Amino acid sequence: MAVDFVVDQTEVQRALDIALAASKADETEALMMGSESALTRYTHNYIHESMVERNWQLSVRAVVGKRSGVASTNRLDADSIAGVVARALEMARLAPEDQDFPGLPGDAGPLQDGGDAYDAATAELPPEARAEAVASIVRVMRRSELYAAGFVSSRSDTIAIANSKGVRRFFRFADSAINIKAIGPSSSGYAEGHARRFNDLNPEALAQTAARKANEGANPEVLEPGKYTVILEPPAFREFLGYLSWIAFGAQSLDQGSSFMSGKIGQPVMGANVTIRDDFANPKGLGVPFDFEGVPRQRIALVERGIARDVAYDSYYAAKLKHANTGHALPAPNSYGPLPLNIVVDPGSRTLEDMIASVERGVLVSRTWYIRLVDQKQTVITGMTRDGLFLIQNGRITRGLKNMRFNESIVGALNRCELASELVRSESHVLPAVRIEDFNFTSGTEF
Amino acid sequence: MDFENHAQRALDTATAKGAQYADVRFGTTRDEHVEVRNGVVAGLSDAESSGFSVRALVDGNWGFASSASLDDDEIDRVAALAVDIANASRAVQTHRIELLPAGKFIDSYQTPTQIDPSTVSTSSRVEYLLNVDKEMRAVQGVTVSRSWIDVWHTDKLYASTEGSRIKQSLVQCGSALTALAVGDGDVQDRQYPGTAGLYQTGGYEVINDAKLLENARRAGEEAVALLTADQSPSGTKDIVLSGDQVSLQIHESIGHALELDRVLGWEANFSGLSFATLDKLNTFRYGSDIVNVVCDMTCPKALATEGYDDEGTPAKSVDLIRNGVLVGYMAGRDTAAAANVGLAGVVRAEYWGRLPMIRIGNVNLVPGNATSLDELFDGIKDGIYMESNRSWSIDDKRLNFQFGCQIGYEIKNGKKGRLLKNPTYAGMTPEFWASCDAIGDQSTWVAWGTPNCGKGEPLQTARSCQGASPVRFRNVNVGVGYGG
Repeated sequence: MAVDFVVDQTEVQRALDIALAASKADETEALMMGSESALTRYTHNYIHESMVERNWQLSVRAVVGKRSGVASTNRLDADSIAGVVARALEMARLAPEDQDFPGLPGDAGPLQDGGDAYDAATAELPPEARAEAVASIVRVMRRSELYAAGFVSSRSDTIAIANSKGVRRFFRFADSAINIKAIGPSSSGYAEGHARRFNDLNPEALAQTAARKANEGANPEVLEPGKYTVILEPPAFREFLGYLSWIAFGAQSLDQGSSFMSGKIGQPVMGANVTIRDDFANPKGLGVPFDFEGVPRQRIALVERGIARDVAYDSYYAAKLKHANTGHALPAPNSYGPLPLNIVVDPGSRTLEDMIASVERGVLVSRTWYIRLVDQKQTVITGMTRDGLFLIQNGRITRGLKNMRFNESIVGALNRCELASELVRSESHVLPAVRIEDFNFTSGTEF
Repeated sequence: MDFENHAQRALDTATAKGAQYADVRFGTTRDEHVEVRNGVVAGLSDAESSGFSVRALVDGNWGFASSASLDDDEIDRVAALAVDIANASRAVQTHRIELLPAGKFIDSYQTPTQIDPSTVSTSSRVEYLLNVDKEMRAVQGVTVSRSWIDVWHTDKLYASTEGSRIKQSLVQCGSALTALAVGDGDVQDRQYPGTAGLYQTGGYEVINDAKLLENARRAGEEAVALLTADQSPSGTKDIVLSGDQVSLQIHESIGHALELDRVLGWEANFSGLSFATLDKLNTFRYGSDIVNVVCDMTCPKALATEGYDDEGTPAKSVDLIRNGVLVGYMAGRDTAAAANVGLAGVVRAEYWGRLPMIRIGNVNLVPGNATSLDELFDGIKDGIYMESNRSWSIDDKRLNFQFGCQIGYEIKNGKKGRLLKNPTYAGMTPEFWASCDAIGDQSTWVAWGTPNCGKGEPLQTARSCQGASPVRFRNVNVGVGYGG
């Protein structure tokens, strides 16, 4: 019978132990990541792709003095493990010394509780259940004379780490998602759901939201480019914050001076109503309690009531910049340094509905697309709206609009914003809708 | 590994479970990466991976499953699972997926190489990049210097119930450098070669051809100079784009737009649809008369070149745009059958464990007549030359785009003038390509590779090529994002 390194903790730990025992390096780290990922895609109200992918990878980091090298494999018999350990050591011996390298982290003590992250029913969801969820979405679409495209997914992941300085971590978690784009003759509407438990997702309710947006947006009109009051719904706001995390909330960008936070820790950088944290333990999030070096994840305030407070650190940058390790390492090696992966934005006081009702003339953005950086230090991005752009007049959504391109500073926008009261998970982040004044639309497209 | 027996076992299991068609792919990948950052080795890795996948078509429904285990039990489980997944889709079946025949091939293919990468030691790769890094950091004001070398090996075996048995051994290499300078409220960077580096099929000669060492200092000097350069202006101007920027323009506004799965709505939720709908085939004016684009999966050196795609279709060349008119798409066996068009041999998976899908192949702009940049500058009274991409964004039907480049130069009365920072340009795809009035010739043409194109759910990356020369465009909206 084949060994399943996604679910079998004993086998995973055996592989890590073999790797550590086989190593002749000064220090050794063995990282195992395994996943079984199932996803069913649909379009035109039928399923056109459906799959289950199972894979794992053992990655070994060998350290010789201040040199390190990494090798990985997914062949996990004893000989293959010994082979990958030898390759990692060979790599380490080839590398020049990095004087800033502090060595591997030791055991940093107990983990904070991130909640129950593994739901067996989600991890083992059969293809029939995903197809049934698609069927319930399709029923809504047919009633609405629309068709839908999107996916229903479920997955289980294992992360396990052991190192020669005593770190031993194992964590298994499950996750699921539904994505719906409802499509009509002249418009489209979007809804998404993410949950640790598949049974917490409601495909029919999500389909109704997507269908309502598609129908309300029919026969969209052209809006002149210019500055408008805009409300970004959570999937759109998430893309803004995801970008900000990548370019500014890690110690590497802080260190190299390219982050807008560089030199500004302790100073006001956003509106006083904005608090952005990284919190792996938020009940809506994934709950992974340690980073890819096995260090316990800390909950950190990145921006607190508008003040720049902190960024994410791993062992390398913690030592280099003489800061506490916040437990945000990515798998070694990587080009990005430590990054926060679980952004949580504190809510405001008004509901999204109340916020819409307060807008005299503005635009509601359901989803954004193809955001790219225009100016890193000024955090200016460009991107397009998609799948539900609406005109708000006198507190009501009055009609659909053709999609627009924006050029906007993320930090600038967060200096003139109001946050809604409901927190929603979008991908791995948890955040509300946001109202932004003077949002800069620069051109439009044909649909 | 006993490929024939393992493959036959998977195909027999799928067939016995009810598949009318099945294919199985066994694969092994090895990715070697060396990266130097600010004088230290920031990445030295050697990653190998192997496994297999089974794709089954059952009564018009696809099922796909993969695994990293390679024993008989797992082959049976995965093949049966692929069929079960296909059967589950009957719950909402309103369309029957059909396949265009690819033919039966028993063949092998190997990437031609001049220098076997295994003859170049990892230590010499490290030493080379440390020298490249030293060159960049010799320039005062360079804050971050980064350079890297990739060597990728892929061995794959394909078998189908139609009798094909195809073995392929591919080698792809690439390298790049980037110099970043941080000023007061400004960050500027220069990459070389082009935007993503030089990535091609072939051996270590690809890395030698990139000439990182010879260009490292210049890249550093340009990054620093950009901090004090004038802002590129806004307005309507004639522009000339470097070949690597044209490559990205092709990728985004032609390559993705002509993937038939997008045209048919199979990517609607994520990657999006396409404005280039089937009713436009053979009539739609995509660009000016001199714009000719082919998808050539046989193109020497090009990053996507291989003998067969991942559903057994042999490499071929397909016209996409001829004399400015849309004449073809990139199609796979299922989409081609649905749209009644021909195959392009571009259905590829990220690796052995991922579902093959239509990916941009080698989508090349046919060279024109201009022999040099100076010839392209001729006739421009007031324009901008832009080089190497910094940001790229386009709507989900591939019409409205905005691209930013790393460096610009004023063009005045046909001559290259002062340095300009943050040049951007924007437009609508057909109007933009219609404004193309001169294309560089073969001597200026490079098979630029894109090593990291994203598409699909779950997301897969793919390696594509867009061969291009520098190109001139007239009356383009420039400066958007910086006051324009």
